[in-house]
Amino acid sequence: MQPIEALLLEPVGCLAEFPSAPFHEITVRLFGPKGKAISSASRSYWRLLNLMDATKTPLDVEQKNLAETLEVEAVHASSLYEDVVPALAELKSMGIRVFVVSSLSRRAVLKFIERNSLGEFLSGVCTRDDADGVKSAPLVTALGRAFLARESAMFLTDTLDGVKTARSAGVHPILMMNDPDEAQRLAMHNPAGGVISLHEMPDFLRVIAAQYKRTLRKP
Amino acid sequence: MKKVSIYRPTTVDEAIQILSQHGSSAAVYAGGTDLLVRLKNRLEQAPSYLVDIKKIDHLRYIKEDAQGGVEIGAATKLAELADSKLLQEKYPMLVEAIGKISSPELRNASTLGGDLLQEVWCQYLRGGYSCWRNGGYLCYGAIGDNSYYHSAMGGRLCYAVYPGDAATALIPFDARAKLATPQGEKELSVEQMVPGDMLVDGKIQSHVVRYNEILTSVVVPPPKPGVRASFEKLRPRGVWDFAMASLGISLQLRDKTIEDSRVVFGGISGKPYRDAAVEAFLKGKTLNADLGEQAVSVALAGAAPLKYNATKIDMAKGLLASGLARLNA
Repeated sequence: MQPIEALLLEPVGCLAEFPSAPFHEITVRLFGPKGKAISSASRSYWRLLNLMDATKTPLDVEQKNLAETLEVEAVHASSLYEDVVPALAELKSMGIRVFVVSSLSRRAVLKFIERNSLGEFLSGVCTRDDADGVKSAPLVTALGRAFLARESAMFLTDTLDGVKTARSAGVHPILMMNDPDEAQRLAMHNPAGGVISLHEMPDFLRVIAAQYKRTLRKP
Repeated sequence: MKKVSIYRPTTVDEAIQILSQHGSSAAVYAGGTDLLVRLKNRLEQAPSYLVDIKKIDHLRYIKEDAQGGVEIGAATKLAELADSKLLQEKYPMLVEAIGKISSPELRNASTLGGDLLQEVWCQYLRGGYSCWRNGGYLCYGAIGDNSYYHSAMGGRLCYAVYPGDAATALIPFDARAKLATPQGEKELSVEQMVPGDMLVDGKIQSHVVRYNEILTSVVVPPPKPGVRASFEKLRPRGVWDFAMASLGISLQLRDKTIEDSRVVFGGISGKPYRDAAVEAFLKGKTLNADLGEQAVSVALAGAAPLKYNATKIDMAKGLLASGLARLNA
């Protein structure tokens, strides 16, 4: 793996514990009953994104407002993982560019950043409103805007959909292994790597940089 | 078995030269009880060039030094340590600990240096999984079965425990290690040599010995007056196995008062885990039957067990209580 210049972080499941109910409610109100509620916020969120991605007709203003309002509710009910701020501070000191890249609405993402005072650590933000699409669209847009090579960026995720999304955007999918049992299943889908918590990312990137340096030294 | 080339240098300088030439694709070969298993299992991380140090003189000895301590050559067999009258007389706890390492057959082959610097025995690494120590970027032990050989004290990318018993038994004596390096001899404490998961020369390893350095000897300082020491070990199989939890403890006593102590847990962390809180607690206390229970209450405050290994912490605390009881007997 070549040295990593940027991390693309999705707040849901990667930076904070979110409630799953608001995402289920958006799903039901926009798309009708689509199976029972899922206790995992990440999986509930990605199910919603899959539906948004698959829909042929774009959401109208009323539907967008409804989704946005419930997402902001979810942000208000979320709790930031305790290792996030120290990890982001260390990553910043290492010169790693960190982007919040999310399929949430811009309003929800900005509220999330403001609520948790994360702005000083971020090099950029890209949401579904900026990218005019969900899943891989915000990733691709963020990469283009920041002139980032795909292979020098990582996307952290705790779902299979997230792994697939990262792959389709051409960036390295990295597992956030919050739940060991789920992580075991996801590890079978060959992510580029995995961490138990965000505080491991600085060491992860140092290992890659050191290994790359070593390969350059080989005759 | 992975194909390898073997060098047989006759001096330490020659060995260092060869190691420097091949970078991290070469490794020191002595007893082979760890290295050959990795080669046999065709691990990606296993070296392609072996530098056999068995032909080098002056690496296999146990001798008393001028200060009354003991210096042990790094290539000395564990069985020789276990049979040493000198060690038995000066550091019986060390001899007891060595006697609990693996089996008699393996102790006849394994060396002290090999035990101190061995690779972790995580079943995922040894099974060829592409983990942090084997060319990958994920710790399977952290998310899979971590009942036996994984840390209950947190980790740093890799969650395997440091498996050696010798370090756990040597640190209570403030033992030091001597390394031969391209720049000359280097000395550091055994505790400093195995600080847990470190990024050294682009690799994650438990020790800080670089690819072109060789551990040449371990020096155990003379026993201090009034010191009592004990080694305890719990393992999945009583006959032979790696520690699920172990304890090396030494107390310096004046009558029954503890003036100083070393409390080192093995098998529960990525390094021999020295519990400074317990050592501070013990200072000035009277060694008596109640002390174990009190010490347990302050032990291992930073425990962070994985899904299946919380029991290791209970085991380690139990060893602390039984170790103190044994020293009080």
